[in-house]
Amino acid sequence: MSEKGASAQKTVRKLHELGFTHALMIPDSESRLLYEALENDPEIDLITPCREGESVAIAAGLWTGGLKPLLVIQNTGLMEAGDSLRGCGVGPRVPLRMMVGWRGYGGATAGKLPIDSAYTFTEPLLQAWRIPTWRLMSDDDLGTLELMDHTAAETSYPAAVITGYGFKP
Amino acid sequence: MIERMELFRAVAERRTNEIVVMTMTATLQWPLVSDSELDFDFLAFGMGHAADFGLGLAIARPERKTIVWKGDGGMLMSLGSLVTLARYAPENLVVFLLENRSYEMVGGQELPPRADFVELARASGFAGGGAAGNGKVERIDSLEAFQDTLPRILTEAGPHFIVLPVTNREKLPPVNHSDHAGRIRTLRKALKVS
Repeated sequence: MSEKGASAQKTVRKLHELGFTHALMIPDSESRLLYEALENDPEIDLITPCREGESVAIAAGLWTGGLKPLLVIQNTGLMEAGDSLRGCGVGPRVPLRMMVGWRGYGGATAGKLPIDSAYTFTEPLLQAWRIPTWRLMSDDDLGTLELMDHTAAETSYPAAVITGYGFKP
Repeated sequence: MIERMELFRAVAERRTNEIVVMTMTATLQWPLVSDSELDFDFLAFGMGHAADFGLGLAIARPERKTIVWKGDGGMLMSLGSLVTLARYAPENLVVFLLENRSYEMVGGQELPPRADFVELARASGFAGGGAAGNGKVERIDSLEAFQDTLPRILTEAGPHFIVLPVTNREKLPPVNHSDHAGRIRTLRKALKVS
């Protein structure tokens, strides 16, 4: 089994394979290496909004115009973006592809207290929206990106991978 | 102040192949002057985010302008998006901010009285900003001035953020929230997106 966390460089290569044109992403401590990899990537345009509700609406506009965006969003941002995700993704069945950072996972699974409430509510929240999810915890799981992408396309509905350990170079 | 329906008529008369995104009361009155598959009713798609959706569309469809009719109350719900627009908006995005200083759709409650949307846009870097550095911020106070300016707005490189103080004397048609999935696919079909 690979060490914890997916490689940012391998993740970006996988995103190329899947044909993503844009990434909407606000930096956070766990995904910063992926952010830096996307910042320097010549194929995928990185857009950094101010808040995640914007990210979702911009992504929906890009998709409506024929492009293929990826939403990279920490669980806390997902919670902030609830109305936008409802209105621009779930309601109109826009196949938003999402990579959700699971803040609090490492501490919670290591038994550290207090448990981060962002950890506790991430999966139940996605389940409440009926958004299918896969766990991307190491390089062994990079195939989940393809599953997520195909599922979003086939169902015309949002789909997500959840990253529990952030990224390594 | 400008009567809102007069604004809509002025744009509808000159509009050719532009995408038009609208939200809140504009979704009730714009259809009175326009029946186009390139019209997109953003109502109930996400409070405050019509211009963000328009930004995505404008980036994706550089061959035509994307016009957004947005209200001042909605602008307050996503003020940070002004900064995002100021950084990324392409030359083909036009945001018309309908400034009626109230939450008209839900009863006309007053907005914070001192918020200045032209200054907010400028402070966000919109003037001289956007993806190509052509961003323009303007306030237009009369129908005559708007009619004079509109041909330039629809043809020159932007992005544009235009504040329009408006009134409305006309009775609003009833709200229709139906078929969100259908609305978005109709627009994709009109844009010939598979």
